[in-house]
Amino acid sequence: MSEFWLWLEMLPIAQEIGATWWFPLMESLHVLSLVIMLGAILMLDLRVLGWTALRYSISSLNRELVPWSAAAFLVANVTGLAMFITRASNHVENPAFQIKMLLLLLAGMNIVFFHFRVLNTVSQWDSQARAPRAARLAAASSLMLWIGVTLAGRWIGHIV
Amino acid sequence: MERLASWIANSSANDFALALLGNVPGSPPILQSIHILSIVAIMASALMIDLRILGLAIPSQEIQEMAKRLRYWALGGLFGVFSSGIWFVLARPNRYFNNPVFQIKFALLVPALLCSYWIFRLAVRAPSFWEVHFWRGKLLAAVSLLLWVAVVLAGRWIAYAEYLFWPG
Repeated sequence: MSEFWLWLEMLPIAQEIGATWWFPLMESLHVLSLVIMLGAILMLDLRVLGWTALRYSISSLNRELVPWSAAAFLVANVTGLAMFITRASNHVENPAFQIKMLLLLLAGMNIVFFHFRVLNTVSQWDSQARAPRAARLAAASSLMLWIGVTLAGRWIGHIV
Repeated sequence: MERLASWIANSSANDFALALLGNVPGSPPILQSIHILSIVAIMASALMIDLRILGLAIPSQEIQEMAKRLRYWALGGLFGVFSSGIWFVLARPNRYFNNPVFQIKFALLVPALLCSYWIFRLAVRAPSFWEVHFWRGKLLAAVSLLLWVAVVLAGRWIAYAEYLFWPG
């Protein structure tokens, strides 16, 4: 497996990104995509928690915000992968990176839980300020997990 | 700028910031994460209003109501970026004040903030503006959007300018 990570690092594209202005460009686009992704997620989560934007139904926010966060998530993945391959063998052993991947996995499971379980019954509580406990739990978990992903992500660069 | 940098470098605030970032375990990534999340609060607020005015996103939300709700997030974010970012400037003033990319970032940030302030003010006080001055409103939102994208692109390059443009 370690040979695979080294092979990734040796790819011409990884070498090119790591040694040129491509790296800060990828990092900038990573930040930009996370701004859009987290902004959209935050707005939906806070509505589900019943804290703000109560005049809008949860399904309308979900319909209008999720495509933005999904598209931004895709960009964050591509730019994140581009940065990852420049130091793949270091990153896989970096505890901050490992924690980030674990938190991303948990965030993904939370999204699946929210969209395919919790939202199934949304028509019954769509316009209520107080969503069911499972929905509020998923929204609160989402907030905590994404804050954790940000923190772990920023920590990667401090462990060399 | 250089005089400001050397004045900071000789002040006790510099000692304090260096001690904070150097001796408190995890303080740099924690402060940087607060910085990033605060940027999210400011920029997501600004970008969502811009995209809404441009007719590209969240059509069911009212512009005036959005501005009234999001302005508090933007203000909280401004407080967050400042209070988390100031320590890095105090600790290594020369790295920032003598860095052309930092100067470019602020030369973009100031108009971006003014532009978004103007949009929020219009949205709260003149809710019919976006219908009466349709194209002017769209232009304003597009300018704001581009300025914010440019700020992020410039911001992340501060750390790299040193070795990309003046290697060795």
